[in-house]
Amino acid sequence: MYHHSEFDRAFVIDRAERFRDQVNRRISGALTEEEFRPLRLMNGVYLQLHAYMLRIAIPYGTISPDQMRRLAHIADRWDKGYGHFTTRQNIQFNWPKLVDIPDMLDSLAEVGMHAIQTSGNTIRNVTADHFSGAAADEIADPRPYAELIRQWSTDHPEFQFLPRKFKIAVSGSPNDRAVVKSHDIGLRMVRRDDQIGFEVSVGGGLGRTPLVGKVVNEFVPTTDLLPYLEAILSAYNTVGRRDNKYKARLKIAVQELGIDHIRELVEARFAETRPMFDGSDQAVLAEIAKQFAQPELVEGRSTAAYDAARDADPVFRSWADTNLHDHKNPDYAIVTVSTKKHGATPGDATSDQMRLLADIAEEYGQGDLRISHEQNVVMPHIHRADLPAIHAKLREAGLGTANIGLVSDIIACPGLDYCALATARSIPIAQQIATRFDELKLEHEIGELKIKISGCINACGHHHVGHIGILGLDRAGVENYQVTLGGDGTETMSVGERAGPGFSKDEIIPAIERLVQGYLAIREDEDETFLQAYRRLGPAPFKAALYPAEEKAA
Amino acid sequence: MAQLQTIPTRPARVAALNRRYRHRAAIQVLREALSDPELGRVAMVSSFGADSVALLHMISLIDRTTPVLFIDTQMLFPETLTYQAEVAAKLGLTDVRTIRATPAAIAAADPDGDLNQTNPDACCDLRKTVPLNRALSSFDSWITGRKRFQGATRSEMEFFEEDPAGDRIKINPLAHWTARDVADYIANNRLPRHPLVSKGYPSIGCMPCTSPVKEGEDPRAGRWRGQDKTECGIHFVNGKMQRIPPAAPAPFVPADGQPVIVRDSGFGPEDWTGPILDLASDADLDDPDLRVGDATMIRIAFPSFTDGRGFTLARRLRVAGYKGRLRATGYVIADQLPMARRSGFDEVEIDADLARRQPWPHWRDAADAAPSYLKKLGRRAS
Ligand code: SF4
Ligand code: SF4
Repeated sequence: MYHHSEFDRAFVIDRAERFRDQVNRRISGALTEEEFRPLRLMNGVYLQLHAYMLRIAIPYGTISPDQMRRLAHIADRWDKGYGHFTTRQNIQFNWPKLVDIPDMLDSLAEVGMHAIQTSGNTIRNVTADHFSGAAADEIADPRPYAELIRQWSTDHPEFQFLPRKFKIAVSGSPNDRAVVKSHDIGLRMVRRDDQIGFEVSVGGGLGRTPLVGKVVNEFVPTTDLLPYLEAILSAYNTVGRRDNKYKARLKIAVQELGIDHIRELVEARFAETRPMFDGSDQAVLAEIAKQFAQPELVEGRSTAAYDAARDADPVFRSWADTNLHDHKNPDYAIVTVSTKKHGATPGDATSDQMRLLADIAEEYGQGDLRISHEQNVVMPHIHRADLPAIHAKLREAGLGTANIGLVSDIIACPGLDYCALATARSIPIAQQIATRFDELKLEHEIGELKIKISGCINACGHHHVGHIGILGLDRAGVENYQVTLGGDGTETMSVGERAGPGFSKDEIIPAIERLVQGYLAIREDEDETFLQAYRRLGPAPFKAALYPAEEKAA
Repeated sequence: MAQLQTIPTRPARVAALNRRYRHRAAIQVLREALSDPELGRVAMVSSFGADSVALLHMISLIDRTTPVLFIDTQMLFPETLTYQAEVAAKLGLTDVRTIRATPAAIAAADPDGDLNQTNPDACCDLRKTVPLNRALSSFDSWITGRKRFQGATRSEMEFFEEDPAGDRIKINPLAHWTARDVADYIANNRLPRHPLVSKGYPSIGCMPCTSPVKEGEDPRAGRWRGQDKTECGIHFVNGKMQRIPPAAPAPFVPADGQPVIVRDSGFGPEDWTGPILDLASDADLDDPDLRVGDATMIRIAFPSFTDGRGFTLARRLRVAGYKGRLRATGYVIADQLPMARRSGFDEVEIDADLARRQPWPHWRDAADAAPSYLKKLGRRAS
């Protein structure tokens, strides 16, 4: 995996120093609150409902055991002993004091981590497929490209004061696990003849106006990647609206001006940006790629221990069925550790859990850890023979939940418990749904079902792309939950449709239960997932399950 | 679109340039260099020393608005300062920029003005190399008056060289000239000579470090006489002996209603008297009526520090070949100085209120170069 270089280290140390100085200048009054705001945001410091929040980047979701232990240390020393993994492969600490943040940044800098551009109107932390470098279906590891983009976008002098935040995601596989079309720029790796390149889409986004990204160029060779991205950003910095912050994202420009106009503009800018790059970026890319070389896997070791545990232990079997994915090498598996124990806050991990994950990754997993955008922790290279031992350790620490992709593997934003913008709570809803389906013992029968919950229309919980989406609103001071159906965040991306009137916080859990029971009643067989059934039958039978009273009245 | 292009590396570009220009005369090299897009924004660096006037004269014939960087080490002969003003006026050079070490740097490293006695390399660093590199950071290439005959260290010199101190290209139009060529050119064109030449100084630097040479000695023998030193951190030299340091210039104080110009060297008053082309932050550079090509100073408005459009405008102007002065004006905060500089701005204009709330040290600290990923990735600043 990528080892931060001396250069990276010098950069983050310099940056932490600058931030310390900015805090001092804020305190002295040399910087007004308004001036300080974008500076603290571009260093990852948010002002939340109760306190400051520090959002730390985990670039393309890859983190080393030492870095994970440092996060645990930070949680213990400056926060409340836990951190929260987000849907953008970041980790947030919700309770730091402003005066402590420079020390936290120094501590992060020592292990090459930082909070740079995790907030604010800048190019944000680049996200990538969390199975990169391990998945059986990938064309090439997308992380070297993501790292190249990280370097290019970091402190880019032209793009620190954009109209609005800007998100880029990269997928190295035709199966898009990075939801690239819901990003301002989505890069999907494709092969043309012998060349690797990217299909580039622009103007995707969730939020209050969910839009699916449109393809602006079907094939950009990797050698042109940075100048091409620079052309898009340059165009966006010119045409992105600055008169209304709700209309400032690239997706609105694409919607208002049309993809053809944007394409023309980008191509004209590309003619300007291409000659600005002298080709050194390709040498840097080659250096980075070396660091992402495939880890050495053990050949010929027996997987009998795995098969035996599967036969003997139903708990292990159920975990193996849901939480493992195919590795390129059949003796290995990709393990996804659920941070979503029934009733817990999705995405939260305690410092002890972080340390345990670091230890396991070091002992069994090539020291490779990933954070997925579904807020879980991935160990991409685990020999099957080690799985029983790992599972036992995880269970002891409350990390053995077998629910990946299931109804309780819910994405939920922080909502009214933490977020200043929230109009409703989202975490308690997630907890209650998970607890309810655990009681019903139906989870495994239901199979793949993605529920996503946002606490306001900003949609940080990605509810638009949930098979079932839940949006918490405020109706005259009362929390009200709106349900959307049929969303999809993969390469077949679609935005969910609103089912009908919302539900109160007491009605929403029974409503979801009715909906899921309704699906079980109408599915063709147990292989037909919720989304497939929805696509086959349309919304009517699902709405009928959600609103039975109206059905009778009609 | 999105065609694969091969972009040559800098050493390859330098080699190609040398091949292309091999048989050209100095003035041809200069003329083409000033308009060659490969060389980007070009500045001339001049000591206004014994030979400088030849190259300055050629520049004035081609483009009088070419930025000329004059390094005042604050150790120069008073004659040099007078001569500098006289030459600039006579040749009609419109953009001579005086480059100095910051008062803070001098106060820290050489408060008594005697560093040249104890550590001339450090002194040159402080007074020339650092200020020059800072000034050159907004250029892609620079013209020097160096010649092969000037010493063994220069005997292989070509028209174009990579500048080891930064990713710029050095242009040496006079590389193949002899002392005789220089003297002839100056005489034929009736150019004013430096007053110290007739007093036995064929090469003129700072007062503490320059002495006259005798008949038959190497002309540069008078530089750093008795020391190992033959070249300063940059290539040309000024030098002198001065026991009493010159009085520091009076510090600039922002005054209400007067603009404050922020440059790498500090705050200063407005010093531009020529025409200014003002652009709004939403200016359309593709508008043919805009005639940016004729401008010598373009000023881009920042209605709010959160409006980053000006950075893209600046970068686009530079890429389009604009070589004049470029200024950001309005609400720009100290922390944005490095972004402005790296996007192609030369300077920032703010009001006195902001200058008082965010005094020069805040800007200086913010501008202290952070490591740049873009540089590492081979992306030119313009
Ligand atoms: S969706 Fe709304 S409530 Fe949830 S985190 Fe985002 S802004 Fe906050
Ligand atoms: S020439 Fe002498 S006085 Fe001038 S800068 Fe160099 S060492 Fe200092």
